[in-house]
Amino acid sequence: MKANLKSNLSWLLLMVVGFVLINFLVVIGVIDSFTENMLVTIGINIILAVGLNLVIGFSGQFSLGHAGFMAIGAYATGIMTLGGFDSFGGWIVSVLVGMAIAAVVAIIVGIPCFRLSGDYLAIATMGAAEIVRIVLNNMKITNGPAGLFNIPQYTTWPLVYVLTCLTTIVTVNFIHSRGGRAVMSVRDNEIAAEAMGINTTRWKLAAFVLGAVTAAIAGSLSASYIQTIAPSNYGIMQSVSILIIVVLGGMGSMTGTFVAAVVLGILDTVLQSFGVLRMVIYAIVLILMMVFKPSGLMGTNELSFARIFNYKKADKGEAKA
Amino acid sequence: MSTFLQQLINGLSLGSIYALLALGYTMVYGIIKLLNFAHGDVYMLGAFFGYYTIKCLHFGFFGALISSMVFCALAGVLVEIIAYKPLLNSPRITMLITAIGVSYFLENGMTYLFTANTRNFPQVIKRVSYDLGPVQVSNVQLLIFITTIILLILLQVIVQKTKMGRAMRAMAVDPDAAALMGINVSGTIAFTFAIGSALAGAAGVLIGMYYNSIDPMMGLTPGIKAFVAAVLGGIGSIPGAAIGGIVIGFLETMFQSIGLSAYKDAAVYAVLIIILLVLPSGLFGKRTIEKV
Amino acid sequence: MTTPILEAKELTQKFGGLTAVDNVSLHVGVDELVALIGPNGAGKTTLFNMLTGVNAPTEGDVYLAGEKITGKKAYAVAQMGISRTFQNIRLFSDMTVLENVLTALTNHYKESFVSSVLRLPSYYKTEDAMKEEAMKLLNDFGLASVAENRAGNLPYGAQRRVEIVRALATRPKVIFLDEPAAGMNPEETADLTRLIKKIQSEYHTAVLLIEHDMSLVMNIAERIYVLDHGHLLAEGTPKEIQDNPEVIKAYLGGDADADA
Repeated sequence: MKANLKSNLSWLLLMVVGFVLINFLVVIGVIDSFTENMLVTIGINIILAVGLNLVIGFSGQFSLGHAGFMAIGAYATGIMTLGGFDSFGGWIVSVLVGMAIAAVVAIIVGIPCFRLSGDYLAIATMGAAEIVRIVLNNMKITNGPAGLFNIPQYTTWPLVYVLTCLTTIVTVNFIHSRGGRAVMSVRDNEIAAEAMGINTTRWKLAAFVLGAVTAAIAGSLSASYIQTIAPSNYGIMQSVSILIIVVLGGMGSMTGTFVAAVVLGILDTVLQSFGVLRMVIYAIVLILMMVFKPSGLMGTNELSFARIFNYKKADKGEAKA
Repeated sequence: MSTFLQQLINGLSLGSIYALLALGYTMVYGIIKLLNFAHGDVYMLGAFFGYYTIKCLHFGFFGALISSMVFCALAGVLVEIIAYKPLLNSPRITMLITAIGVSYFLENGMTYLFTANTRNFPQVIKRVSYDLGPVQVSNVQLLIFITTIILLILLQVIVQKTKMGRAMRAMAVDPDAAALMGINVSGTIAFTFAIGSALAGAAGVLIGMYYNSIDPMMGLTPGIKAFVAAVLGGIGSIPGAAIGGIVIGFLETMFQSIGLSAYKDAAVYAVLIIILLVLPSGLFGKRTIEKV
Repeated sequence: MTTPILEAKELTQKFGGLTAVDNVSLHVGVDELVALIGPNGAGKTTLFNMLTGVNAPTEGDVYLAGEKITGKKAYAVAQMGISRTFQNIRLFSDMTVLENVLTALTNHYKESFVSSVLRLPSYYKTEDAMKEEAMKLLNDFGLASVAENRAGNLPYGAQRRVEIVRALATRPKVIFLDEPAAGMNPEETADLTRLIKKIQSEYHTAVLLIEHDMSLVMNIAERIYVLDHGHLLAEGTPKEIQDNPEVIKAYLGGDADADA
């Protein structure tokens, strides 16, 4: 537990240092609004990808519908902050509402769909997300295909930073608990997990709901940052781009997800000046990455302070001997 | 009643296109378990190739159809060799992401080269409508059915009667055992991609004739629909893909005809989910149960 | 005799037209070590799957400590006290050995979502208690030194042992071992023999064993059931089974359809 505390404190310290550093760079003007935009996008993508990694990398269930939950959060915030909840407190209420709806939808979708597995599950979840999008496309309150605009802006980079840290802490702590082990056992061998008394559907659903709820948070943040949302922003391609971050970082590696989200975010910004060629280059980079490093940047490894401390301990031990 | 029959005809022609596309998904999946995300873009390439052969080389319909099929077969094999072959032994999700990369590449590469503009597909065949009692059938619709049926029969002959077809079926059952029995694995995979892509090329030219417009992003939505059709029919099953395609075509036009066209895609996905819950491997898929 | 811990009454399993197990009844007493033998394809694994809830029997019922468990899902049956190992090892191979055992303890400890994500003191308390129980088991079976290794990286024999320890961690009333000696050399088999005896004597758990290795079976089983072509061919002590002419015939060949 002592070693544990040390590594937890190190992570916390890293988060605080990161925050102070960014704040400093903003104050002295190194980070302009363009770079800040990039940072916010990266943060939102991290929240999305961490949640999806929990579902795909840790519980082993292939979901292609993450954008649907993001849409739910975005619309909850858009509709509520435009309709009377126009304050930061109102924004928080809208986030909570989005999270609750996302959780309910995840349960409704998950209970029947988790009888499927592999590619069939992927397609079923993709279909469910598309249904969410089509419903949003046809409702009055969502203003149909045109979407919502002039959504009040409450999202700032410190808010994104804090929520990115919080959702990641919650997800990672879940993984390192009794529930997380149950979830991973389902991924590793579903039949054995059942034989050990693990209610596999229940634990798959737990991971799926947690992923959905974090995606809703990300949706709320992005709606309140870009201020304009439309159903077409939450299609299959959005789900796929979150999936790409997860696979590129390494399924089952949360630190990998962070690295991939940052690399892709920077790549995207750097390529912005190339116009259409940007997507062509992006595609080529993606293909090359997969061909030459199929397990993703980090595989299933994690960057970990605990490991660094253990190395040091081992070194000392050897030195004594 | 007559509108119902009319929608049946329209559904059948749209469904035929989906069926041709779904076959490519299902064959590739059957043999290497890859959801070839880029398949819809091969169909787009086919439409564009048809467009230029007609416009610049003044090919007729059949010339455009055949040449576009050959072109797409080559393109499909090229994609397979460059992007998928090095990954045959990697986790399947890696190959899926690569396929998405190829799809992005084709869509944006084509946009870069030919701009994102929609263009009118030259009408090499003068459109004529025939009145058949309560319904109307156009010659283009007839052309779509007939071409689809001929291609389906050809495919069935290739898969059931030829040596290559036997190799494909063997690999679909057990790739390792097939390799041990001396089947040329990479040749068979390339052949499968060639056949699937040729069918997509044909579908591209046919849709150009039918809808009269093409653009670099045209493959995305029909690609996903056709893929849904393949899953619906039971992925890996050739008759399943054909029937799944037609079912999706029907569903879409039916929803359109009852005034719910905004929900036609939702209906497609809802039916898909319901069928998967009742028949977890689709209509004609083989259920594999993991032995304990 | 007291109520058996596990009792199966007239179990039948049909797959389409094929009757894989036909009207089989058996019972396992408290702390008893029973073996189930029979030629390949006799229906042993099918019977195991019915008893553990993997497949529901076509006919018949299963009782665990007097309570009917027929038709219950596999995880529910496991929670009630039947645990098992698998013929083809099924470890959680990407997890560590310790995590494998901890997973089996999942249902014996309560840890709320809130306390684990907020790392409240109660989280550390349960985690420590779980780890202590798991390490004690691993220690008992000589696996403490590999606790932090990835389960999939262990040698074959050790993987089998981890599977048994993991099954024990669910605190079962009866533990099913599906061909635990398969692929083991004589030395490892001798080790396994001691281990199985230990389960019975120190953990007071009944054992139902499927095994092809006759020396192992005859050495440790108190009672043996012989299954052939889905039927129960014989039941008795090792000595009785060894002398049973029908059993000898089933194993050494002869008319395969004699009992059909």
